[in-house]
Amino acid sequence: MNPLLTLLQINDSVFPIGSFTHSYGLETYIHKGLVHNSATTKSYAQSMLRYNMYYNDAAFFAKAWQLCEGKFSKVKLLELDRLVSSYKSPYEIRQASKKLAIRFLKVVDGFGAARRCKSYLEAIQSGEAGGHYPIAFAMYAQSQGISYEDALSAFYYNTLNGIVTNCAKLVPISQMDGQQILFDLQGLIQELVNSQADMDEDMLGNCCVAQDLRCMQHEKLYTRIYIS
Amino acid sequence: MESRININVERENQFSVLKESFHNAPYKLTHYGAPRAQPHLEMIIMSASPGIMDGDRLTINVNVKREAHMKLYTQSFNKLHPMKNGAFQDTIINLNENSVLHYIPHPVTPFKDSIFKAENSIHMDASSTLIWGDILGAGRIYMNEAFLFNKVHMRTSLYRNKQLIFTDNQCLKTADQPVRDMLFFEGYTHQATFIYSSPFATGMKAEMDEILAGEYEDISFGFTDAGENTILLRALGNDGELLYSFLSMLGQMCWEYTQHQQSLLLPEVVLENSKQEEERVEEALPARKKKTVTAAAKKQKRSTAA
Repeated sequence: MNPLLTLLQINDSVFPIGSFTHSYGLETYIHKGLVHNSATTKSYAQSMLRYNMYYNDAAFFAKAWQLCEGKFSKVKLLELDRLVSSYKSPYEIRQASKKLAIRFLKVVDGFGAARRCKSYLEAIQSGEAGGHYPIAFAMYAQSQGISYEDALSAFYYNTLNGIVTNCAKLVPISQMDGQQILFDLQGLIQELVNSQADMDEDMLGNCCVAQDLRCMQHEKLYTRIYIS
Repeated sequence: MESRININVERENQFSVLKESFHNAPYKLTHYGAPRAQPHLEMIIMSASPGIMDGDRLTINVNVKREAHMKLYTQSFNKLHPMKNGAFQDTIINLNENSVLHYIPHPVTPFKDSIFKAENSIHMDASSTLIWGDILGAGRIYMNEAFLFNKVHMRTSLYRNKQLIFTDNQCLKTADQPVRDMLFFEGYTHQATFIYSSPFATGMKAEMDEILAGEYEDISFGFTDAGENTILLRALGNDGELLYSFLSMLGQMCWEYTQHQQSLLLPEVVLENSKQEEERVEEALPARKKKTVTAAAKKQKRSTAA
């Protein structure tokens, strides 16, 4: 199979795993008027990538990748899964990670994914594992001969694309502005991907308190278009 | 300066009593009021020092034995003085079968150039209950020192039956992060975290869904089912004292709920008058929308005093 085409397919926003139904707290930011135009959208997106994703989902992705490249064992996988669960406190965020992981693993199972992907899916379904999308994505991408840099860049891009698409619908911002933000933040993604392996271990799972709080407030928003 | 505080609490008949405690300068550990004024133990950590200085390392060990209940208090705001190398605080808590610990320390105020690392490891039996909080301010705001600290890193890890169930890793570095802006303090000057981890968490979450249905003018908060029988609440505000009152009020609600639930499960363990306490909580509930936290906290204080 062609690694580039596989990456494009699994990273597509219409890949049927339901990622477009989640805002990861962004809906609260828009509801409260904190994100209200193109400038605040860009600033939110930058901060999310640099201060949240870098230490959380992208770092979990990198850990899972490392595990798959080295001596993989199910015990280590379950250990990582438990560690990630311990960091993902807001209920909706944890659920989003689980649902996306299950759907992702189910779809790629049809493509003849590696045995370890199937084993992770079974562990999630039996309750043995919590289930986390960054782990599932890294496991499959690594098994398909996609390079680490490409896979991680795509993973960052996917999150950014989600933010921009949600803002285009909810704020709303113009499609032109949205595309400009996607283009402008290429440098940031490159920088984060390049330094991901050197991330200070002590910072793993670092929580931005207000962002966590907005994810929790989402559970009680009066009108909700997104699940998280 | 290296300091230690060790606390061992045991159950003796209906009382939870202090056993084998230890503390050294500048800390002092004393009973908060009369030792047997109530069945549970109330201790207060006091300090003769004006705050935490460069190079200080404090280790706190708390062991709450089987069926013992304790409320641990602090005396005042924890002031972090200017530093070059940093100060450390390690807190290790062990909660045994059916034990309960309530610990909501005063807010931490990091002065200009302070560097602080706090590591909290809490090891729980599945039947034990933890009521925990932490509050961090921006610094001495009225001395124009808001967000001038260097680094404050607080990590809390909860283990139940030796398995990691919850991690809260909060690292703030004013030089590297836009700490006043989105994702961080968002215009507020204080942040607070409250944890209730207990076999009764599901019931307490339902109570909180009802009690905390409104919004407050002076703080912004959210809470969630953090999984593994743990409730997490986070709040932002502009007044450390107010957040402290808010967390203390939540702590008291959780304490009384735990006492009540334990009394249903283990009538011989809980001898505090839970029915009376339950009424007090209901009276103190700040249910209406846009009511201020101050009013709610005052009401709680009044009813507790009554």
